[in-house]
Amino acid sequence: MSWFAGLLGPWRGFAVTLRQMFRPKVTTQYPEEKRVKPQRFHGRHVLNRYPDGMEKCIGCELCAGVCPARCIYVRGADNPPEDPVSPGERFGYVYEINMLRCIFCALCVEACPTEAITMTHLFEMSVTSREDAIYTKDELLVEPDGTPRHPQPEGPLVDLDELRRGHGWLRATAPSGRAAYEGIVAWTPSATYGEPPPERGQAGVTDETDGES
Amino acid sequence: MADAPDQVSITLDGRVVEVPRGALLIAAAIEAGTYIPHFCWHPRMKPVGMCRMCLVEIDTPRGKMLTTSCTTPVADGMVVETSSPVVKKAQEGVIEFLLINHPLDCPVCDKGGECPLQDQTLAYGPGDGRFVEEKRHYPKPIPISDLVALDRERCILCARCTRFSEEISGDPLIEFVDRGNHVEVNTFPNHPFTSYFSGNTVQICPVGALTARPYRFRARPWDLEAVEAVSTVDSVHSKVSLEASMNEIVRISGVDCDPTNQGWLSDKDRFVYEHLLADDRVVVPLIANGDGFREASWGEAVGLAASRLADLGGAVAGLGGARSTNEDAYVFSRFLRGVVGTPHLDAQLDDGLAPEFAAAVEPRALIDDLDDADAILLWGPDLKEELPVLYLRVRKAATAGAKLVVVHPRRTGLDDVAAHTIRYRPGEGPALLRRLAAGEGDLAEARDALGAGKVVALVGRPGLAEPAELAEAVAAFALTLDDARILPLVRRGNVFGALDMGLAPTLLPGRVSVDDAERRRALAARWGSLPDGVGMGATDILEAAASGRIGALVLLGVDPVRDHPRPDLARRALERAFVVALDLFVTDSTRHADVVLPVAGLGEIQGTVTNLEGRVQKLNRVVPPPGQARPAWSILDDLAAALGSELEADAVEKIFEELATLAPAYEGLTWDRFDWAEGRDGVVVPLEGVTPPLRHVPSDPGLAVVSERPALHLARVLYDDGVLVRHCPSLASLAPEAAAHLHPRDASVLAVREGDRVRLEGVGVVELPVVLDPTLAEGTVYVPFNLAETAALGAVPSVRIDVVREAGS
Amino acid sequence: MAGPTNHPGFLLSTLERAVAWARTRSTWPATFGLACCAIEMMATGAAHNDLARFGMEVFRASPRQADLMIVAGRLSQKMAPVLRQVYDQMTEPKWVISMGACASTGGMFNNYALVQGVDQVVPVDMYVPGCPPGPQSLMHGILSLHEAIRAGRLQRDVRVFA
Repeated sequence: MSWFAGLLGPWRGFAVTLRQMFRPKVTTQYPEEKRVKPQRFHGRHVLNRYPDGMEKCIGCELCAGVCPARCIYVRGADNPPEDPVSPGERFGYVYEINMLRCIFCALCVEACPTEAITMTHLFEMSVTSREDAIYTKDELLVEPDGTPRHPQPEGPLVDLDELRRGHGWLRATAPSGRAAYEGIVAWTPSATYGEPPPERGQAGVTDETDGES
Repeated sequence: MADAPDQVSITLDGRVVEVPRGALLIAAAIEAGTYIPHFCWHPRMKPVGMCRMCLVEIDTPRGKMLTTSCTTPVADGMVVETSSPVVKKAQEGVIEFLLINHPLDCPVCDKGGECPLQDQTLAYGPGDGRFVEEKRHYPKPIPISDLVALDRERCILCARCTRFSEEISGDPLIEFVDRGNHVEVNTFPNHPFTSYFSGNTVQICPVGALTARPYRFRARPWDLEAVEAVSTVDSVHSKVSLEASMNEIVRISGVDCDPTNQGWLSDKDRFVYEHLLADDRVVVPLIANGDGFREASWGEAVGLAASRLADLGGAVAGLGGARSTNEDAYVFSRFLRGVVGTPHLDAQLDDGLAPEFAAAVEPRALIDDLDDADAILLWGPDLKEELPVLYLRVRKAATAGAKLVVVHPRRTGLDDVAAHTIRYRPGEGPALLRRLAAGEGDLAEARDALGAGKVVALVGRPGLAEPAELAEAVAAFALTLDDARILPLVRRGNVFGALDMGLAPTLLPGRVSVDDAERRRALAARWGSLPDGVGMGATDILEAAASGRIGALVLLGVDPVRDHPRPDLARRALERAFVVALDLFVTDSTRHADVVLPVAGLGEIQGTVTNLEGRVQKLNRVVPPPGQARPAWSILDDLAAALGSELEADAVEKIFEELATLAPAYEGLTWDRFDWAEGRDGVVVPLEGVTPPLRHVPSDPGLAVVSERPALHLARVLYDDGVLVRHCPSLASLAPEAAAHLHPRDASVLAVREGDRVRLEGVGVVELPVVLDPTLAEGTVYVPFNLAETAALGAVPSVRIDVVREAGS
Repeated sequence: MAGPTNHPGFLLSTLERAVAWARTRSTWPATFGLACCAIEMMATGAAHNDLARFGMEVFRASPRQADLMIVAGRLSQKMAPVLRQVYDQMTEPKWVISMGACASTGGMFNNYALVQGVDQVVPVDMYVPGCPPGPQSLMHGILSLHEAIRAGRLQRDVRVFA
């Protein structure tokens, strides 16, 4: 009966195809829908502000110093006393990141003593020239209401509404990840609309929304 | 126990080590390889034991005791523990105490990243503090001078800055005030920290309490790229580290080089880098175009210069080279003599000393000779104004016991530590010298002081209105003493190197006289040709150019209109001649140039330089030159090629190799020697066993006394209106007010008061306010040289004073 | 969206648009995976992201059949001539996407071994930041490129070598 099985073989192959046609699709229909990013996704950076609108960046260059790709260029300057840009003596008057050099390792976020630089869920940064990939302070700094700015105009591939959904990455628990800090916000969240809840999971607690925003 | 008589043995953490007798325990331990943390102790200053960080345990008859190792001299058989639990606990306690009031603004502090307090907190601190109360607060930062800002919150009261000001620089303008918890470091009310050495306190501050305002927030330590070089601001050649960020030099720090600066710098050395970043630096070749300049290509500019120089044949002269490297000076010398074929060249502008005397005086002193001298004779410029780092060395020697005799027309910075100060009216120097040599009258004591033991004679020109031969006469007197050495003093950056490279009408490279036939042959064989005869010096060159006998001048980093004693002559000469200038800026002199070629400056070139004691040191490069600026040797090589000759100057190492073979005094030097071991502190030429052909023994030139009154004392000040200072925003504002200083008795004869205006007539006429100066010799007018208002005066032995009476007064 | 503005005329303009549309819908990539970015590039072609939706499912092993080179990964100095050769062997019109930090600028590997940006070797039309860029980041780059091709913004003069 082996000849019969051989005859049937191709049809069994077609059967596989046929079966798959009725299974639910796994494909994410980008660009119409976007994959949900994990909470700590390393996307594009933003420079945050305090609730009163003051810049958090003090121009200390620790981010530039720690950057393994040396893609950050910061220069500090004296804060004008009558109209200070940031609290304290110094502010960052030049802040540039070359997104094409950046390896999105978030060491700058870890180094930042004022939580001025954080990472968002924004990932659409393709450019046609290398100059355009250098994000200046104007582009990195969030609006006073906490919305990240976008260097590109709105178009089919640029969804400005996305900016409001993709919040700045934040470390909500103790730096050491101690379970005792579960659910305790150690410092205030950054670029986002509203305040996201603290992270879960360090005490072994999980739920299905964990890891999604 | 120790074998050598000057050694003792101590037990350091269970290890027996031999250390020098009498050394401080902390220094001995660090020397032996055991680091002891400290804040207040500094190897170049006396210990105070204020910070308590250097506590160690020492075995005593009463048991183990905690002692500050910075105040304890070593003793034979001493048993020391530097890391026992007790010491650790003490160190942790000290750090915790220091941090009680220290603010945590490290991210915005200029010291953050290179801060001893940060480092030692990490290495020796407890990791946690128990102090939760509010810290001490002060307004911050407060500017205590134009260069230094003070942040009292950060101060840990180590007294390094106050001790430096008192012990080292001798201008105690910063001190502790108040008592107990309120103690703070500060300046005196209404008196800024106007020290010439204030930058050193910033460098030695172990926290960020004192910061430099020009460097404030310019960069962070981790993005600084540093190389070693020497400061070419003056001829002492202090060792510095040039620190650059993003291709701009943003800081200069002193490096401890035992034979020269011992870690200290003057503020001019420290902040002079600002001129490199000036907006009006020449960065492209310029060709004169009507009243101004137009930008040109290298080919066009060099072609124009070469064709005009070729047309003129030998009627060309060269000035300058005293601010360049030895390699630039050598190529300049070869270019002028070998390619252009002119014997007329001079690195000095008749404002220095005779070339043979400066370059080849015997026996020559080293700066280090000051330390074991019994007496020091200083007859020359006010060191604090002209050679500030040498001032520190002389001051150190004098406070350590050397008898210092200062001869100057007015009070100098060293008068405080001098055993004898002698004032004289400029022009009457020769008479004074005869009286001093004979020990007449009130000079007997000073003569006695010089009479015995080792003497170092620092000789130079006290003022520009006095003849250069005075130094020769003083040196000749010094040689009549038992054991005297001469250190000729000329200020300009690499003037000694330039003279050694033959940039003088009477000298050939390597301390050779132009009359030396044998050396001439050797040089001509390599250079192709060598013009005959002795050329003209700077003044003669300028006169010849002004009268048309010299058709073209090549200027290498020189500003005769400002620096020559006769500014009017220099201006006429430059206006008439065809001038090719290699310079950083369009200066008062290069404004008259027909072609200006941009050269690279400090930190932008490699090369060697020679300081006033003959020490050759290496300059390293840390940033690229801006625009199209290039090293001078490379430009001269192009000019020579356009004139149809080959200088083979295509790498600085190659030029150095050539000059080391052709210049007898530099025989045996190799380029690599400056990078390693002792060579890093420089090498004094001639090397042992090398005898340069020219040895100049000073003899009394028989100067006549000029006793016209009022005599002019025209002397340099540290911050003048020179081209470098003018382009350093932080330093330019520090220039003193231009004034005519008069002795009160002279002023009363003229019936002028302080602030009245007088008109002085020398070469030119200047109008200046009067300042009364009781320290000035009577019958003398002192005018600071080269300020904007005094530049036109010129150097003449005596001036005419007219009082300007305002109408109605 | 306007067609190529540098080609006036009605009939041919419409044809150009049709050609641009066709090119957009079948931009076949050449495989040039050099490092970790290539994993993301493969993922982009797989079911979850499915490049086939844009007519790009066929990663061609032969440069002759490819229109788009996705340089995915760090380009070493030794590899550079190979990359250039493959690019040269591709038929016009052709496009290049530089995927990720290393390909675009050298990234954190600022050293002697790596080409500091493939644009030193081949003309790059689209740079995709990321280390590595995720599939959707890459797709953003691809779709931006498609948009540019469709609008005729990236058309180069075809050089014909005799």
